[in-house]
Amino acid sequence: MSLALRGVSKRFGALAAVENVDLDVPTGALLALLGPSGCGKTTLLRIMAGLELPETGQVLIDGVDATDWPTRDRQIGFVFQHYALFQHMSVADNVAFGLRVRPRRSRPSAAAIQRKVDELLELVQLGSAGARYPKELSGGQRQRVALARALAVEPKLLLLDEPFGALDTQVRQELRRWLRRLHDELHVTSIFVTHDQQEAIEVADRIVVLNRGRVEQVGEPGEVYDAPASAFVHRFLGQVNELPVAWREGRAYLGPLEIPTGQAGEPRGGAAPTPPKSVALVRPHDLDILGLAEEAGPGAGAAAGPAAWPATVLAVRVIGPIVRVDLAADGRSADAPLEAEISRERFDTLRLCVGQRVSLTLRRWRLHPA
Amino acid sequence: MSGVPPLGRWLAIALALAFLGIFLVLPLLVVFTSGLAHGVGAYVAAIADPIARAAILLTLLVAAIAVPVNVVFGVTAAWAIAKFEFRGKSTLLTLIDLPFAVSPVIAGLVFILMFGSNGWFGPFLQQHHVRIVFAVPGIVLATLFVTFPFVARELIPVMQAQGREDEETALSLGATGWQTFWRVTLPNIRWGLLYGVLLCNARAMGEFGAVSVVSGHVRGLTNTIPLHVEILYNEYSYVAAFAVASLLALLALATLIGKSLLEWRQPDLRRAARGAR
Repeated sequence: MSLALRGVSKRFGALAAVENVDLDVPTGALLALLGPSGCGKTTLLRIMAGLELPETGQVLIDGVDATDWPTRDRQIGFVFQHYALFQHMSVADNVAFGLRVRPRRSRPSAAAIQRKVDELLELVQLGSAGARYPKELSGGQRQRVALARALAVEPKLLLLDEPFGALDTQVRQELRRWLRRLHDELHVTSIFVTHDQQEAIEVADRIVVLNRGRVEQVGEPGEVYDAPASAFVHRFLGQVNELPVAWREGRAYLGPLEIPTGQAGEPRGGAAPTPPKSVALVRPHDLDILGLAEEAGPGAGAAAGPAAWPATVLAVRVIGPIVRVDLAADGRSADAPLEAEISRERFDTLRLCVGQRVSLTLRRWRLHPA
Repeated sequence: MSGVPPLGRWLAIALALAFLGIFLVLPLLVVFTSGLAHGVGAYVAAIADPIARAAILLTLLVAAIAVPVNVVFGVTAAWAIAKFEFRGKSTLLTLIDLPFAVSPVIAGLVFILMFGSNGWFGPFLQQHHVRIVFAVPGIVLATLFVTFPFVARELIPVMQAQGREDEETALSLGATGWQTFWRVTLPNIRWGLLYGVLLCNARAMGEFGAVSVVSGHVRGLTNTIPLHVEILYNEYSYVAAFAVASLLALLALATLIGKSLLEWRQPDLRRAARGAR
């Protein structure tokens, strides 16, 4: 089913948890609510579930105003971060719960419930664990039981609060991929909350970035990462280097480099940002390192300023196929090193070592109001 | 505590044991040996005495009313306090603790002032021939008052620790409020509840002060076990007094054993119980 929020606000005391949120979740979507802790993402999820009432605004389910519908009438599945499995029930009884509490006329027979439970436990790869108790399971297994229990009532909408938050990295990776596959199989409209941008990018097909109770941007993972709508989104989705823009005689400079106005790297159609206060955010992999020999190559000096920014290598960290290099750019405080990410091959060609002089170029950047 | 020298450690343990021995074990022994001083026959006779039997029955009746009422109240209050935010919550918490803070004698007097012949509702009750003070209803009310915090106080920390997620999950799975309570909430708090019931029952049967004020001490009618023991003692029937008292001592022992069994069965409870004090 589809879900929409219209102007939803909710405050706790003086604190605005969610402010005037509009959101459309089409049928079959797998959507991530992404943001730092305290940004209101869990509150938003609870409002969708009917566990929290919005102060203003509407929750529409399939276009119908469902703001006042109680949780049990919304046909949703809700999975808590810590799973909230019923400790006194076996795994099978946990999964069967939603079917057993149905009124007699719509309740399946005991045999049908048993079949359904077996089927679901098979689906979450826990076929043999039905008789066990939640305490005897690992974190990842508990998470899958919670999911099976939520799926048992055939929800039209699946809501997951930090579904992988309490798991260790290895299990988390595995479960992410598994959840993605499960969604492709079942096509249940699903919304999950996360503070982990990697997770959101990897699992979701749409990301909603939240900050202080407001929606900053909605988009596909690539869109949100490559074309962040605000400095907050840019900073939150991955690492950034911050370079203040200096204006001299109507020209914009980052350090010694003049940045051409109207270039593709600039935001929103190249309209010149109003001087004086703006900042360029550059992802580490958009910072390129050149050897000194390359700097002297043809083309240098053709522009109004130098084509590259001299710098000194401060630190080098090799992380598998990529290499992170900390650089002290000339004219910039040493307390604020720039971080570049280059491929292992590039690193080997450059033969970088600490203290070495290099020059930098910027491949892409975005200007945001400072 | 490896910094404490062995001598100091042993001294502390010995002191604690000596204290327990003098103030707890010795009196208990005295109760039983005095009760049995004239043999088993006298012991049984003291308990089988019709007036003693009436006191025992009344005590059981009072507990049979006070405990279920407090279970219902305690569960409701703990549920409200632990699972919801509302104005006046801290006031409610303080009120629940009130019986712990007020002397039982005062508690008894309050009921006299309310329902006694010169009390607020006295004339009204007399017109309708309802007796509360110096009768069984008064004893039940006084007992309810003093036992009122036990179940609630036991359950509040347990329920607070469990949070609302289990209930919210049940609701999202389509359960009604009632189903959620019976299938999820109650099983989650069963050990804490049992523990609270044990303590509540022990207090209901053993309460002296408040009950003494409202009872009127009518033999065979409004005397509970503790009141009966006092009367026997004041009449110098020591053996009989201690024999009947030993019943309460046995109840206390059974309660303690039950409590330890529960704690052994459910380690979480120990933490919760500590949090309650």
